[in-house]
Amino acid sequence: MYCVKCGVKLQEGTRSCPLCGTPVLLPDDILEDREITYSDLFPKEHNSARYLGLSLATALMGAAALVCFIMCINMYGEIAWSGYAMLGIALGWIWLVFPFWFPHRNPIIFSGVDLVALGGYLLYINCKSGGHWFLSFAFPLVGIVTLLICGVTALYRYVPGGRAFITGGFFILVGGCCILIEFFQHITFGSEMFVWSLYAVTVFAAIGLFFIIAGIIRPLRDFLHRKFFF
Amino acid sequence: MSRKEWFRLDTAALIFPAIRHHNWNNVFRLSAEMADEVDPDALNRAAADLARRFPTFFVRLRKGFFWYYLEKLEKPAPALRDFAYPLTYMPAKELRKSCIRLFYHENRIAMELFHSVSDGGGASVFFKNLLVRYIFYKYGVVTPPQGDIADIEAKPSPEELEDGFYRFAGPKPMGRNEENSYRMTGTHDDTGFKHLVTGILPTDELIKKSHEYGATVTAFLSGVMAESIMKLQRRRVPEKMQKPVKITIAANLRHIFPTKTMRNFVLAVNPGFDPGYGSYSLEDIVRIISHQLAVDLMPQTMSGRIMTNVAPQRNPVVRLMPRFIKDMAMSMVYFSVGERKGSINISNLGQMTLDESAAAYVKRIEFIIGEQYTYPNNCAVASYGGRTYINLIRNIRETELERIFFSRLVSLGIPVEIETNERE
Repeated sequence: MYCVKCGVKLQEGTRSCPLCGTPVLLPDDILEDREITYSDLFPKEHNSARYLGLSLATALMGAAALVCFIMCINMYGEIAWSGYAMLGIALGWIWLVFPFWFPHRNPIIFSGVDLVALGGYLLYINCKSGGHWFLSFAFPLVGIVTLLICGVTALYRYVPGGRAFITGGFFILVGGCCILIEFFQHITFGSEMFVWSLYAVTVFAAIGLFFIIAGIIRPLRDFLHRKFFF
Repeated sequence: MSRKEWFRLDTAALIFPAIRHHNWNNVFRLSAEMADEVDPDALNRAAADLARRFPTFFVRLRKGFFWYYLEKLEKPAPALRDFAYPLTYMPAKELRKSCIRLFYHENRIAMELFHSVSDGGGASVFFKNLLVRYIFYKYGVVTPPQGDIADIEAKPSPEELEDGFYRFAGPKPMGRNEENSYRMTGTHDDTGFKHLVTGILPTDELIKKSHEYGATVTAFLSGVMAESIMKLQRRRVPEKMQKPVKITIAANLRHIFPTKTMRNFVLAVNPGFDPGYGSYSLEDIVRIISHQLAVDLMPQTMSGRIMTNVAPQRNPVVRLMPRFIKDMAMSMVYFSVGERKGSINISNLGQMTLDESAAAYVKRIEFIIGEQYTYPNNCAVASYGGRTYINLIRNIRETELERIFFSRLVSLGIPVEIETNERE
């Protein structure tokens, strides 16, 4: 079977020439169940709808921030409450939309960026409301949380194995940090020391020790992995 | 815990991780049609044997601070059922797991390889060994280790693992100055589907016709392709704005320099002509290409061009740059210079031969290369069992080039049979 236009020989059962599209003029020869030499399995296609959704979310959030700004300027002639609203929306965007623009998200970078953005927002609130709690309380608190989350994420990502020890160590550190946080609370707001932190230390240390023991006892670790893998 | 085995990328391989783009990278494919339905277990056993004999193939791409490197896989990933179209995108996530894919579909065995691992020449040797080993497990037929077929029990020789570019670099680098060429365009297929048209020609008639024109098969096919692109350009571009038509031919340096390396050892040459100067017949074009190839493929010329690529790697400042800066620099140079010098790639593996004992089980061998990032068509050629398979791949909908090219071969008296992966 040949194409009358190109002169090339065609596979049996072909309905039209794949080069020029000329229909094959022997309809009796068309085989309904002609052999297809390629697999019918298609690979997963790339999802471009995600970027459309992200663009839409960005546009909506931008519009909401703009509306807040215009309303506030019309009402007060300056940036009053709209500053909180706009930065709040910006923080929401950084937390919820920004990471999804990237096909491969590094959790260490994005958790760091999210917490730094939170710190910036708290600083704005502190300055705008005339508070004196940022440097002595909010900054160390956000700093501790940032270090802990970035540290444990980096260990999870780059250290092969030892997950149970990392998790155990993380919980013990969180417990230790509770005392620090209560200390910052004490020097900023004048509250008493050791009201709640010792309870938290005890609970977190117990959880941490459990993970470390699970790391040492292999059957226990395997059991936990089998039951709780995700 | 056993020590991880790893390999530096060879000189040609360095570019491919750097120029990866969203939905595109350099992957090529070899496939064989067997006499019977493929047994995936036998294929996996054959792959496991080859992983020991050819350690640079079953690898994954890893990042160092200064360079990428290939880390040997503990065991090859099992063969998968083949996809509906060849050379589906191999994303970075996959390259971190494996740079090679093995497929099976009915009677066909296929292998897709990221170009950093090897070139068509090295991969064809590997693929023949894979087929021979598969035949051993499936049919119990032993093929003697001679020619390209390796002794499976032997250890890989250092020559097989070497970076040939370092060994054969000349004393003086050669300039890269070249005129930009005509680029074809078309309606891009956003689905990612790779359209494939395979032209099947009798090899003896193709050789006979090539000799009538006083050329090799590669030079002759490049001439027909250049003439087809010239006709296409005439239809689309005003006469005074015609650009040179150049064919990027992948030259297997193993034919020029004595090495058995299984890594990349290939360089592109861009013979062509400028249709702006007047009308050229097919005889003229084939003659031009043959003469340019004769000059470009001289060992002296090639060693100078090799040195051009090796010299930056020897520069201590370049070596100490972090990998991401090297990536940016290589990517910029490649897309602003490298991809602008050719209108289409033609990669001809030549005659693929197997020992009689194995040849009885292999009906057909094909070679397919992916399209370039900035031009839509590419061409790969391989001959086996008296037939030559010319695979024209494209990511656009138009088939104009394919039609002009194959109908020109028909008009020259070479019968062409066409196959395609299009769904009607």
